[in-house]
Amino acid sequence: MTTGPGSKKTAQSPTPKKSAVTVKWARRLEVGREVLRNPLTVIGLTIIFLFLMMAVFAPLLAEPNQPDPYQSPRDWSNIDSPPGVAGHVLGTDSTGGDVLYGIIWGSRLSLQLSVTVVLFTLVFGTMVGSIAAMRGGRIDNLLMRIVDVFLSIPELIFALAIAAVLGPSFSNIILALAAVFWVKYARIIRGEIIKVKQADYVAAARVVGDSSWNIYRKDVLPNAATPLIVQATLDMGNVVLIGATLSFIGLAQAGLTEWGALVSAGQSGLLAGEWWVSTFAGLAIVLWALAFNLVGDGLRDVLDPKTEGR
Amino acid sequence: MTTASSSSSLHTVDTDSVVTLNDVKVHYPVKEGALQRVTGHVKAVDGVDLSIARGKTLGLVGESGCGKTTLGRVISGLVAPTGGDIWMDLSAQQQLDVNRLRGVNEAEMTAQDRQMWKDLTLNSRLGSMSREKQRQYRRNCQVVFQDAFSSLNPRQLVRDIVGRPLRVHEQTSGAELDKKVIELLERVGLGAEHLLRFPHQFSGGQRQRISIARALALNPEFVILDEPTSALDVSVQAQILNLLVDLQAEMGLTYLFITHDLGVVQHMADHIAVMYLGQIVEYGPTDQVFDSPLHPYSRVLRDSNPSLEGERNRDWELSGTVPNPIEPPHGCRLHPRCPVAAAGCGWSVSDVMSRTEENSPVIFETIKTVDRSDDYNAQINFENEGDAQGFVSQLNGSVINESMHRPPEVRGASVKVSFNEVSDASLEQIQDGRWSSCIRTQERGTLPDLNKSQQVNGKEGQ
Repeated sequence: MTTGPGSKKTAQSPTPKKSAVTVKWARRLEVGREVLRNPLTVIGLTIIFLFLMMAVFAPLLAEPNQPDPYQSPRDWSNIDSPPGVAGHVLGTDSTGGDVLYGIIWGSRLSLQLSVTVVLFTLVFGTMVGSIAAMRGGRIDNLLMRIVDVFLSIPELIFALAIAAVLGPSFSNIILALAAVFWVKYARIIRGEIIKVKQADYVAAARVVGDSSWNIYRKDVLPNAATPLIVQATLDMGNVVLIGATLSFIGLAQAGLTEWGALVSAGQSGLLAGEWWVSTFAGLAIVLWALAFNLVGDGLRDVLDPKTEGR
Repeated sequence: MTTASSSSSLHTVDTDSVVTLNDVKVHYPVKEGALQRVTGHVKAVDGVDLSIARGKTLGLVGESGCGKTTLGRVISGLVAPTGGDIWMDLSAQQQLDVNRLRGVNEAEMTAQDRQMWKDLTLNSRLGSMSREKQRQYRRNCQVVFQDAFSSLNPRQLVRDIVGRPLRVHEQTSGAELDKKVIELLERVGLGAEHLLRFPHQFSGGQRQRISIARALALNPEFVILDEPTSALDVSVQAQILNLLVDLQAEMGLTYLFITHDLGVVQHMADHIAVMYLGQIVEYGPTDQVFDSPLHPYSRVLRDSNPSLEGERNRDWELSGTVPNPIEPPHGCRLHPRCPVAAAGCGWSVSDVMSRTEENSPVIFETIKTVDRSDDYNAQINFENEGDAQGFVSQLNGSVINESMHRPPEVRGASVKVSFNEVSDASLEQIQDGRWSSCIRTQERGTLPDLNKSQQVNGKEGQ
C-alpha cells in the first residue's frame, strides 16, 4: 500500500483516545487525498459532479414535459433550427425537439443506466467469481466455462442480440447490458481471490479456526476487491457508450431523451449541414465516458500501483 | 513403505507427546492433458514418523523443497494428509501402544487390543476424534509463519489481528479484548501504542512479534515455527530467537522449529529431525547429531554451515541437484548425490542414465533407445558396438558397476544392465535415541568414512 506523509503522521503521534473507526477512516481519507493529487482525476471528478448536478436538478434546468418528462417538448414551428434560435440554446431536431432539454434529461437516463447496470453486474459477477474461487474444483470449472461462453461473444453484438429479442425499450437495454457486463467481474474477482488465498494471512486465519465466511469477508474480499472498484468506475462510462450504441440503432423507445437516441435522430440532418443535434448529444456521451475513464485510471494508479501503465 | 516396516521405525519419546505422526504422507496428484488424468504424484511428505515431546523444542531441518513446510502444515491442520495418522497428546505408553497396534490387522486383534485401539482413535486421532477435541487441538496448536509481511492481513488493525483468536474462541470483544491484546503485545515487547496501527507501519521484526502475539493469544501448548527468522536481518533474528526462548520458559511451550538454518536450530532445539525429499533421514538429540551425524546428509548440512571458527571440513559435499520427487530414487533417496554411496544403496537404471548424462554427455548422446523391463533391468541400444563399448568402459570402476547383478553385457550394439533390487531405506535406531535411515550406517553402526577413491584430492585425515 501507499505510504504518504499522512501515514507517517499517524505512526508517530499516537493519541491514546483514538478509536479503531477513526483510524480506519483516516486511512481511507489518506487514500482519497492521494487520488486527488492527480489533476486528470480531478478533471474527471469535476465533470462527473457537473453531470450529477445536471441529473439531480433537471426539473429546475428544464421544465419537465407533461406527461412524460423523458420525451422532449415539440416546437413544431421551429424544426431543425440551429443553436440560439427562438430560445433553443442548442437548437432543435427534425421533430422540433429541444436538444438542450434532451441532454439535460438524458443525463438522468445515463446515470440510471450506469448505476443500475454496474451495481447489478458488480454484485452478481462478484458472487459468481467468489463462489468459483472459494469452492474450486468442479464448481469452479463449471462456472468458468459458462463465463467463457459469455466472453467468447463480442459484448456489443451480444447486447444487441438480447435487446433485439426482448424488443425496443430502455429497460431492455439495461437488461441486455447487465447480461453482458457481469462476466468481467466474475473473471477478475476469481483471479484475485485465487491469488489472495495463497497469502499466509489466510492460512493464519484458518489456523486460528475462523469460519470460511469470516475469512472470505475479512481477509479475502477486502484484499481482492481493488481491481473491481477500478473496473466498476471504468464501466460507468463504458455502459453509457454501449447503451448509446444500442439506442442509436433504434433499440430504445422513439423520441426518448437518451443521448444515443439523440445522436441517431440528428444523423439524417448531418449531411444537410444540421450538425448540432448529433454533435452536442455525442459530446455529452464522450464527456461522460471520458470522465469515468480518467477517474478509473487515477484510482488504479493509487490503489493498484503494480498495474500502472497497463 | 509397508505398514509393518513403518511401525518398526516409529521413534517414540519417553515423555508425553503433544503430537505423534504415524507414516504421514502428502502426495499431490500430477494431472496431465485435456482429460486431467493423474500421471503421477509429487511426494511432498512420504511416510514420516515423528513424536514431539511436551515442553521441548524439535528442530526440523532440510533444504528447500524437502517437504518440511508441508509437514508443518499437516500438523497444524492446514493440509490434509493423504495417508497416515496424526495423534494428539499421547503418553509414552500410548505411543508404544499405537506403535504396536498399527502393525496389527484389526481382525487379528484381541478383544482387549481392539478396545484400546478404539479408545485411542476416538480420543486422540485427528479425523476420528470428537469435534470438541478437534477444536481443542486447533486452539492448542498455533503457527508462526515465515513471511511476516504476508502473514498479517494488510487491511486489519493490530488489535483485530492479534485479537482474532480471542474473538473466535472466547467471544471476547470491546474493552476486554483491547486489554487482552495489550497484554499480549507487551508480552512480545510491543505496547498499547501499537494497538491501532496497520501492519505496514511496522518493521519486519515488529511484524514477526505481532505474529507471535497472535499465536500466543489462546495460550497454546504447542507452536509451530515455520522459519520464523529467515526473512529477518541477522541482528533482528537474534532478538526474535531470544524472545521465543523466553516465552517458552515462561509459558512451558512446545516448539516445532522448522528451518534450513542449522546454526539457529543448534541453539534452540533439544532434538533434531533431518528431512530429505519427503522423509526423515536422521533423528536424535541436537548435540549428538551435531557432534557425530549418523547420516551423510546431516553431515553435509552440518559441514556446509558457515562458521566463524576457522575452516570447516568441506570434503563432504553433495553432487548434482535434488531428484524429481515424483519418482524418488530407490533404496536410500540420497544415494545418487551421496559422497559415501556404496553398492547396496539402491542403484537402478535411472541412475545410470542420469549419471551418464551428467558425467559423459558425449556418450549419452550416442544412446538411441532404452528398453526398460523394470526399474532395475534394461537394455540400452546404441548406433554401433563401439559406442556400446564406450558406454561400458565409462561405467568401469564406478560404484554403479559394483551394484549390478552382473557386469554390463555388450551384445552387438546394445548393453544389458541388471541391478540388485534394494528395499526402501527406513529409519532405524542406531544408538539409544538416535535414528538414521542410512543403509550403510545401519550396517556398521557408525557413519561410513569418506570413500577415498571418489575424492579428487583426498585431504581428509590431516
